[in-house]
Amino acid sequence: MNGLLAFSRVIDTVNRHLGKVANWMVLLSCVISAGNAASRYTISVSSNAWLEIQWYMFAAMFMLGASYTLARNEHVRVDIIYGHLSTRAQIWVDIIGGILFLLPATVILAWMSWPIFHNSWVSGEVSPNAGGLIRWPVKIFLPLGFWLLTLQGVSEIIKRVAMLTGHMEANLHYERPLQ
Amino acid sequence: MITRELMAPVMFGGLVVFMLIGYPVAFSLAAVGLFFGFIGIESGYFELALLHALPERVFGIMANDLLLAIPFFTFMGAVLERCGLAEDLLEGMGQLFGPVRGGLAYAVIIVGAILGAITGTVAASVIAMGLISLPIMMRYKYDMQLATGVIAASGTITQLIPPSLVLVVLADQLGRSVGDMYAGAIGPSIVQVLLFCAYVLILSIVRPAAMPALPRDALTLKGWALIGRILWGMVPSLVLIFLVLGTILMGLATPTEGGAMGAVGAIALAAMHRRLTWKLLWEGMDSTMRITAMVIYILIGSTIFSLVFRGVDGDLWIEHMLASLPGGSVGFLIVVNLFVFVLAFFLDFFEIAFIIIPLLAPVAQKLGIDLIWFGVLLGANMQTSFMHPPFGFALFYLRGISPREVKSSDIYWGAIPWVVLQLILVAMLIFWPGMVTYWLEKPVVEEPSKIELQFQTPDYELEAPESAPAEGATPREPGEPPASSNDRAADDIERALKQSR
Repeated sequence: MNGLLAFSRVIDTVNRHLGKVANWMVLLSCVISAGNAASRYTISVSSNAWLEIQWYMFAAMFMLGASYTLARNEHVRVDIIYGHLSTRAQIWVDIIGGILFLLPATVILAWMSWPIFHNSWVSGEVSPNAGGLIRWPVKIFLPLGFWLLTLQGVSEIIKRVAMLTGHMEANLHYERPLQ
Repeated sequence: MITRELMAPVMFGGLVVFMLIGYPVAFSLAAVGLFFGFIGIESGYFELALLHALPERVFGIMANDLLLAIPFFTFMGAVLERCGLAEDLLEGMGQLFGPVRGGLAYAVIIVGAILGAITGTVAASVIAMGLISLPIMMRYKYDMQLATGVIAASGTITQLIPPSLVLVVLADQLGRSVGDMYAGAIGPSIVQVLLFCAYVLILSIVRPAAMPALPRDALTLKGWALIGRILWGMVPSLVLIFLVLGTILMGLATPTEGGAMGAVGAIALAAMHRRLTWKLLWEGMDSTMRITAMVIYILIGSTIFSLVFRGVDGDLWIEHMLASLPGGSVGFLIVVNLFVFVLAFFLDFFEIAFIIIPLLAPVAQKLGIDLIWFGVLLGANMQTSFMHPPFGFALFYLRGISPREVKSSDIYWGAIPWVVLQLILVAMLIFWPGMVTYWLEKPVVEEPSKIELQFQTPDYELEAPESAPAEGATPREPGEPPASSNDRAADDIERALKQSR
C-alpha cells in the first residue's frame, strides 16, 4: 500500500504543478485577447497567430487543469443522494465510479486521440489561416490531457482504498464549485 | 439485447441513474455515452466509426473561440468580487434611496442590475452585496426574509442581463450569435428589474414595518458629497459596461474579447482602489482555471453522450415526444419550461445547457420558434435554478456569508416570492415574445441563398462563353451527348433563376 501511495503522491505533485501552468494560461490568454482587440482598432494590427495562440492556451488550460481539479474534488456532482451518504459510502462511490466511469472513458479517449496528434505531427499540419500556427503543439494536449487524467483517476482510487483500509485519513471535502 | 426502438429511452433512463449515483457529472455522462455506444455497436445499430468522431469533437471544443469567454467572464467576476466596486455602488445608492421606505431594497436591486450589466457571474454579485447590505438592513430592522430574498434575487439577475455567461453558452448551443442573444435579453432584463421594484413598492405599502426608511442621522452624505460618492461608483461601472457590453453590441469586439477586456478593466479598477495584490490575482486565476476545466469537461462528457444518443435516434425520439404535444408551440414551450424548472432543482445551468438544449433546439426550430426567443426564455427560466431552496447557489453563497442570527429557514422562505416573480417573467415571455424580438435588429433580407444568387448569376453568364473552349479541350468520348446531364441541370437552374427575378 505504501508503494502505491508513494506513486499516488508523485502523480498528485506532477498534476499540481501542471495545474499551476494552467492557472497562468488564464491570465496570459486574457491579456493576449484584450491586446488583440485593442491593437486591431488602435494601431490596425491583427495577426492570425495571436488569435490562434488564445485558444491554444485555452486548450492547455482545461486539458492540463482537469486533473488538478479532480484531485481537488471540484468536478461538479449531483449531490442529492451523494450528499446524504456516509463517508464510507462516498468513498465507495468514488472507487466504483473511478473504475467503471472515469478510467474507461479517459483511456478510450486518450487512445483514440493519439492518431489525431500523430497525423498532425507527421504531416507537419499548419493552420489554414494565413500566418497561422503549426497544429501539433495544441493537438498533443488531447492524448496528454486524457492520459494525465487517467493517472489522476488511478491516484484518486489508490487514495480512496487507503482511506478504506485505514492507511490514510478519510478527508472527502466536497463543496459544489462556485460559479 | 435491447431493441433499437428502446435504445433511446433506456439510454435516457441510464443517464438519470448514472448521474444520481453522485460521481462527477462529466465522467458519468462520458460513461453513459460509451456504455451505450458499445451496446449499440455490439447490437449492430451503428459502426465503431461513429465513436472515432469523438476526438475530433473534443478538438472542436478546444478550437471554439466562443467558449474562451467562459474563463474570461469567470476571471472578471473573481476580480470584481474583491475590487471594491460593489461597496462603492451600494454606499452611494443606499444613501440616495435610504430616506424612502424600502430604499435599501431598491438600492440592492439597482446595484444588482448594474453589476449584472458589467459581469456575468452570480457569485460575485451575491457575495459582495450580501457582505455589505445584509448587516445594514439588519441594523435598521428590515424583515429578515425580505432582506435575504432581495439580495439573493438581485444577485441572480446578472444571469439574464447581458453580458451573461448563460447567454453565451446558450448562443453557442443554439447556434445563434451572442450579440443577438444579448440584444434579445435587454427587454426581459428591464422588465425583470421593474417587476422586482414593483414588488418592493407593493410590500412597502402593505407591510411598511418590514422595510423602514433610514433615520435622518444615518444619512451621512448630502449634496455634493453624495453626488461625488455616486459618481465614484458609477463612472468606473459605465466604463466597464462600455468595454464589455458596448464593444460587443457595436460589433467592435467578439464576446470573447469583450470578456477579456472586462477582466483587464476589472484588474485596473482593483489597482485604482489599491486592492490589487498578487494573492487576489492568483486566487482568481486558480478558481477560474478549475471552474473552466469543470465546465469544459461537462461539455466533453455531454458531447460523448449526445453523439451516441443521436446514433440510436434519440433525437428523433425526443422530437416525436415533444412535437406531438397538444397546443402546438405554446404547449411545447410550457412543457419544456416546466421540465427545465424541475431539472433546475438538481442540475446547474451548465449541465442543463450542455445536455438538454441540444436535444430541444431542433424540435423548437421545427415548430417555427425563434431560437433567440427560445434561448432568452430558457435563460430566464434557468435563473430560478440559483434561487431554488435548498440547493440554489445564490442561497448557498448567502448562507455562507450571513451572520449567525440569520436562520437558514429565513433564507429559504425569503427566496420563494422572488422565484415566483421570475416565473411570472417566464410566463410573460411565453405569451409576449415581442419583449425579446423588439430589440433585435430586423434582418436585412439575410437569406444566404438569395444573396448568393445575385452574385452567381452574372458570373455564370460572363463565364459561359469563356469556359466553352476549355471544355472542348478535354477529349470527348464519341457518341456522348454534347451536353452532359450536369450542364442541363445548370441550364434548368439558370432558367429558374431568371424566372424568379
